[in-house]
Amino acid sequence: MSKKSPTDRATTRRGFLGGGLAAAGGLAVAAGAARAAQPDPLITEIQDWNRYLGDGVDAAPYGVPSEFEAGVVRRNVPWLTADATASVNFTPLHELDGIITPNGLCFERHHGGVAILDPAQYRLMVHGLVDTPLVFTMEDLMRFPRENHAYFLECAANSGMEWRGSQLNGCQFTHGMVHNVIYSGVRLRHLLEEAGVKTNGKWLLAEGADASAMTRSIPLEKALDDCLVAFKMNGEALRPEQGYPVRLVVPGWEGNMWVKWLRRLEIGDQPWHHREETSKYTDLLGDGKARRFTWTMDVKSVITSPSPQKPITHGKGRTVISGLAWSGHGTIKRVDVSLDGGRNWQTARIDGPSLSKSLHRFYYDFDWDGSELLIQSRAMDENGMVQPTKDELRAARGFNSIYHNNSIQTWYVQSNGVTENVEVS
Amino acid sequence: MSKFLKAAATAFSLVAFVAGPAYAEGDPAQGEKVFKKCKACHMVGDKATNRVGPHLNDVFGRTAGTVDGYKYSKHMIGAGDGGLVWDAATLASFLEKPKQLVPKNKMAFKGLKKAEDRANVIAYLASYSEAASSAAAQPAAKAEAADAPAAKPEGVQVAAAPSGTPGGTASSGPMGLGRVALPEEVTAWDIDVRPDGMGLPKGRGNVLDGEEVFVDQCASCHGDFGEGRDRWPVLAGGLDTLADDRPVKTIGSYWPYLSTVYDYIRRAMPFGNARSLSDDDVYAITAYLLYMNDIVDDDEFELSHENFAVTRLPNEENFIPDNRMEESHWVANAEPCMSNCMPDPATITMRARILDVTPESGDDDSGIGQID
Repeated sequence: MSKKSPTDRATTRRGFLGGGLAAAGGLAVAAGAARAAQPDPLITEIQDWNRYLGDGVDAAPYGVPSEFEAGVVRRNVPWLTADATASVNFTPLHELDGIITPNGLCFERHHGGVAILDPAQYRLMVHGLVDTPLVFTMEDLMRFPRENHAYFLECAANSGMEWRGSQLNGCQFTHGMVHNVIYSGVRLRHLLEEAGVKTNGKWLLAEGADASAMTRSIPLEKALDDCLVAFKMNGEALRPEQGYPVRLVVPGWEGNMWVKWLRRLEIGDQPWHHREETSKYTDLLGDGKARRFTWTMDVKSVITSPSPQKPITHGKGRTVISGLAWSGHGTIKRVDVSLDGGRNWQTARIDGPSLSKSLHRFYYDFDWDGSELLIQSRAMDENGMVQPTKDELRAARGFNSIYHNNSIQTWYVQSNGVTENVEVS
Repeated sequence: MSKFLKAAATAFSLVAFVAGPAYAEGDPAQGEKVFKKCKACHMVGDKATNRVGPHLNDVFGRTAGTVDGYKYSKHMIGAGDGGLVWDAATLASFLEKPKQLVPKNKMAFKGLKKAEDRANVIAYLASYSEAASSAAAQPAAKAEAADAPAAKPEGVQVAAAPSGTPGGTASSGPMGLGRVALPEEVTAWDIDVRPDGMGLPKGRGNVLDGEEVFVDQCASCHGDFGEGRDRWPVLAGGLDTLADDRPVKTIGSYWPYLSTVYDYIRRAMPFGNARSLSDDDVYAITAYLLYMNDIVDDDEFELSHENFAVTRLPNEENFIPDNRMEESHWVANAEPCMSNCMPDPATITMRARILDVTPESGDDDSGIGQID
């Protein structure tokens, strides 16, 4: 038996849209063959992997995914930005299951490339309206009481390219600026209390050590509530592209505030109105006014499979619809799924941990009759807030808001299983 | 160090023995560090492609302005036509003052002041150039490198303090962790500026000076008039477009506070060479941006810490607090409809495949959205 090369697999959308048809047909034939009298050589013949030895324990000191998963990678959209060092790539949501995003697949957003910082040279300063300005080393941070929390991080611009209409064929591109990992770190509150916040301190400025020296103003109330100064993700050190050695975690709030390569925390009595909270990450409304300090990521969901990059290839019959739901306000109470473009809804099954400000995984299992579907998911969070339609958001905000598009997504599943990004009315 | 680099380094020592090429005076490993300044725009090595600047593989022996697929300025192409070929000597001259060797070329980098840095980065680039290992020595660079002061170890490392209190005062906080920050340390990092002027350094700069610095340092991305090249940000114009179908959000049309301009330029610009501008240069550029946006009309206007806080941007009043929760779809907070929610079956009104801007779809078309 010859080994199947991972590069043979269709990894592009065109591969799916074009090749998906053939694949669907081919699988249908294969399924037929399995029921026929011909025995399957994969069973009747002894395979290489069953006879010859595989790699030893010294082959991969740091393990990597199977070669057959080579298509499961972050992808970027080159036309979005001027240069890759101030750009974004997208989590391949369509290939993942459960609620945790593997570290190497967490989307990246940098404003000045990935800073390379030796933890031995790491310093974190707390100053401003404090009793005593302090400097912490990496080792100091590790001596504060540690906590572990799973939180989603969503870029405020996630789905931003879809405000004006369906544009990108793939939930990796429409919804892939989100990831969900378990952070290990210390409460920001402990660091601030160590310096002693003065009573007139109302705001916190967090600053990164990268070439963009990213800054955001955060109200002190949030800083003292659930923010973390994190150094581990999913048990291992933060990846360089996620802010190694230390990043800020601002649960439920837009990703830009989760300052990476965190080096400075300044307490002040008013916000700083820096670039990423004035010229960017403000939401332009239809009348020309703009909302600022729109921090919370509202309730949202998306079906990750089937989706344009993950068509149905097995034909009609037993089918699993799967997706993700999340809310910056807390847990997800319910997810409904529609197969007919929002006319009728069924409640999906949430499976796995339901944690506050974390991704939730939902499934809808059904018998597909092979007819065309317009599939949607609609999440409701613990406060009873329900994900709006695209038209509702546009009616309230116009077409130029860019940020905070948490509207319901529609996928058009054709009878051959090929799936497209569409809008419906 | 890459394998390529190691092999090249070995090749060097051999060549150095025979012919003593100038760039052998430079240290490619040190050069790799210097090259960080170049990396925002240039790639070199395996998989290098053209970015903001052309790739630098095999730059030795290359006629200026000739990398396939890179859009050069006509000035750089003209220099190549005039016979400029990159070697250790021409690179050394170019890297010292790029605009002097090739006037008006579009590289927005003011140059490497230290001869040692130039020699090192040239040695680093040589390691990615086939021609460099066979080329004759270039005395100019050699002389320069020889004049350079002996290499000093850079960034003397402070030993990681086990207690986090290297010679400092321990924290008197509840957990006794960390040490007291010294005033010089706070000053070094605390560069932020607020709308009320807090944090502004003393200094001044006028429109005309700002134009000069802008053309030199900023225009290669933002355009001579702040119009923005490729997808780099547009900085000027766009007045009264915010309610249009295609709003143009610039400093003049959108940004609420001038302090943001000063703060951002000082902390992050020019892109890839942050913190390299003087405080006066930042005042001058900010003054020039006001001028380009018609907020000041006198080209001798001088901006300083004294008049900064009184200068207002026109769009300040149009920012409002987050009132999303007042939107009707949230206010309703109703139990969502489950059946027969629309009178007629849903129909498709738009398909992404019509636009076809998904990556890897075989087209280079651009979409209409943006991410920030």
